[in-house]
Amino acid sequence: MLLDLSSFSKVYDKEKLPNKKIDLIVEWLEKKGFQVQFFLDNKNLLSKSKKSAFVKIESLDFSSLFSKKNLLPYSKISKHFQTNLFDGNNNSSNNLEGIIAGLKVKSLYVGAFYLWNSKLDNHDLSVTIEYFKHLVESNFRELLLKKKLRKNTSDLRDKKLEVESFIDISELLSGTSESEILFQNLLEYLVFTMNATKGVILSKEPNSGIYELKATLGIKDDLDKKIFRENKGILSILKKEKQSLLLNSSEDLPLLSFSKKNSVVGPFLNGKNLNGCIILYDKESRKGFVDFNQHDLRFFNSVVKKISLSYNNIILLDNVKKSKKLIDNIMSSISTGIVKINLMGEIEYINDSAIDIFQLNKSILIDNHYAIVFGGNPELVELIEFAESRNHILYEENLKVKKQDNNETNINLTISPVFDEGVNSGSVISFEDLSDINKVKSTFKKYVSENIVDELLLNEDSLELGGVEQEVCVLFSDIRGFTSMSESMEPSKVVTLLNSFFDKMIDVVFKYNGTLDKIIGDELMVLYGAPLKKSDDILNAVKTAKEMFTTLDKFNIRMIEEGYPKLNIGIGINYGKVICGNIGSEQQMNYTVIGDTVNLASRLCSAARPGEIIISDSVYKNLDDNQGFSINEELSLKGKKQPVKNWKFTFQLDSINTNKK
Amino acid sequence: MSSITGKSIRDGIVIISTEGYFNKDLGEALKAEADVEIKNGHKNFLINLENSKIVNSIGASILIEIIEDLQSMDGSLNFCNLAPIIAKTFKIMGLTKYCETFENEDAAIAKLA
Repeated sequence: MLLDLSSFSKVYDKEKLPNKKIDLIVEWLEKKGFQVQFFLDNKNLLSKSKKSAFVKIESLDFSSLFSKKNLLPYSKISKHFQTNLFDGNNNSSNNLEGIIAGLKVKSLYVGAFYLWNSKLDNHDLSVTIEYFKHLVESNFRELLLKKKLRKNTSDLRDKKLEVESFIDISELLSGTSESEILFQNLLEYLVFTMNATKGVILSKEPNSGIYELKATLGIKDDLDKKIFRENKGILSILKKEKQSLLLNSSEDLPLLSFSKKNSVVGPFLNGKNLNGCIILYDKESRKGFVDFNQHDLRFFNSVVKKISLSYNNIILLDNVKKSKKLIDNIMSSISTGIVKINLMGEIEYINDSAIDIFQLNKSILIDNHYAIVFGGNPELVELIEFAESRNHILYEENLKVKKQDNNETNINLTISPVFDEGVNSGSVISFEDLSDINKVKSTFKKYVSENIVDELLLNEDSLELGGVEQEVCVLFSDIRGFTSMSESMEPSKVVTLLNSFFDKMIDVVFKYNGTLDKIIGDELMVLYGAPLKKSDDILNAVKTAKEMFTTLDKFNIRMIEEGYPKLNIGIGINYGKVICGNIGSEQQMNYTVIGDTVNLASRLCSAARPGEIIISDSVYKNLDDNQGFSINEELSLKGKKQPVKNWKFTFQLDSINTNKK
Repeated sequence: MSSITGKSIRDGIVIISTEGYFNKDLGEALKAEADVEIKNGHKNFLINLENSKIVNSIGASILIEIIEDLQSMDGSLNFCNLAPIIAKTFKIMGLTKYCETFENEDAAIAKLA
């Protein structure tokens, strides 16, 4: 019986896909009453839609089966094809009268093709199987080629991904990212390129020798709190082996406990020393985890070696950045303006204070010449030029300079040459802005002597402005009979007389480093030892009091000539503990002292007659000699239960009469 | 960790957002979500990868499977907010030939809806 193949050819020739063509062959043959079976050892050739016709046979030597003849009666070799590995069914239902032909692709057997039809004799069956065998082999060849092509394309893509990642990693390593960001990026590149599920990078902290976590991906454990050292675990292995390794999951090695399959680990080496390591865990495949293989290890190793080579630079760059940041922070926090210029006179560095002092535009400073940046200050430019030409340190005090907004300020200027390994590399210019200091000085000078102001500015630690208890000498002076005297004078003359008097007295106060606490009407209150404590506070208070009398004597002579009445004063001084601090309300707050010591000083002043200084026993005891003071009768003073022991000094000067207050 | 962070439907487009490493686990989670919506009759998808910065080839191969499924029903898989590394990987893996990428969700919806 000859088969009419025209209906088959019509459908078959239209189909382009080899697997579909094979399905068509099976379908057409089965329709014509054939029992069709393919026994194959290559799973890629098994049809998905015609499963029953395809049998997976493993470990069967097709080449020896068909070594003599390619076409055999099935009965002769049926025992080899009893069990269907594809679906587990028994193939014993195949008719033994069928015939079987070996299937070859590129001279290699890939399986066998069984065919039987009850209506065909052996000859027609042989002709039919021969005809379809060639079609099937041709389609199998195309299928395998396509599969191979797909595999090659996939491999090429993976290779391209590896190459691209390698290039990206090289670019990352030559970049300027901070080490934490760099290591995280490196880890991410390696994890996704190698289809790993997770990974870590550890880096050795040089001082402690502990390996710190630099980057992590996909690990839930808090590795940050764990200590890793090179004397045990993976680090110990890497230190010994000095090369990348494939390691199986191990509970004994804590860093491998995250792995379900195997891990690939690589050392960052500096010569023989281990500086860090990278570990990737569990390679993924579409069907689950698979082991990293030698190819993976080769790629991984090349990347790890590249990181190793760059490692020192990464750490060095990181340290440089940290140092620069530290210097920038220091430079930003100091009030002195700093400018570094190179040999060309171009600005290489300028800190925030220098920008603030001159109110410069930050964006146009770096790489600009100092003569342009400080063009509005020719004297400053000349000084820099001079210092550059002489190559030695230049100081200039209280130099007046113009800011960008044309306001002026005073600076102390220092220009120092900078040497780099003995070679001049430019200059450092420092500016100390005096505007704030001058403001403080002018404000403080109203209350304390210039010496004290300078000392306070030089040594801020000595200043105690909080509410503290300390020992202070308090001096009160009061004009005797001033109230009744002023009633008979014109108010303007009263003001002139008082202002002239206080001018002279305050000069004396400041001469002996007193702090003018307050002026209350015609009374002066002066402190010694606050806000700045000095060893000679008590003696200075006494000297002030004495000189106030001699100054008043001269003052009176001049003022009497101008028609003013003569002034008489009495002075009281006490020494003891007081509370110092800024006292008042939020709206008005003054630095002053309070306490019993102050009250007693005021009472002693009240008790002093014109021309008299009365000092407390505590003042007297602190004087090296009696300073002309003599014991006075004890005073019963308001607020004091016991009479107060005191010492008195009386002036005998022409202009001072001894009338009682 | 990797996860699906959101799923919504805008103008007939299923938008699925992810977070973390786009690997096998996240790829399979995404495929499961896509399969549910395919059964519900949806065939156009937008994957927002704003919070996924890296993808491996297994994740990409799962995306190709989803693309194949959708192509067989004249549907489409689209992406937005791609990190540069992901865009590069998609190109190397050949994904970009079969899908469109957009700057953000709004641009994608404007074009796809």
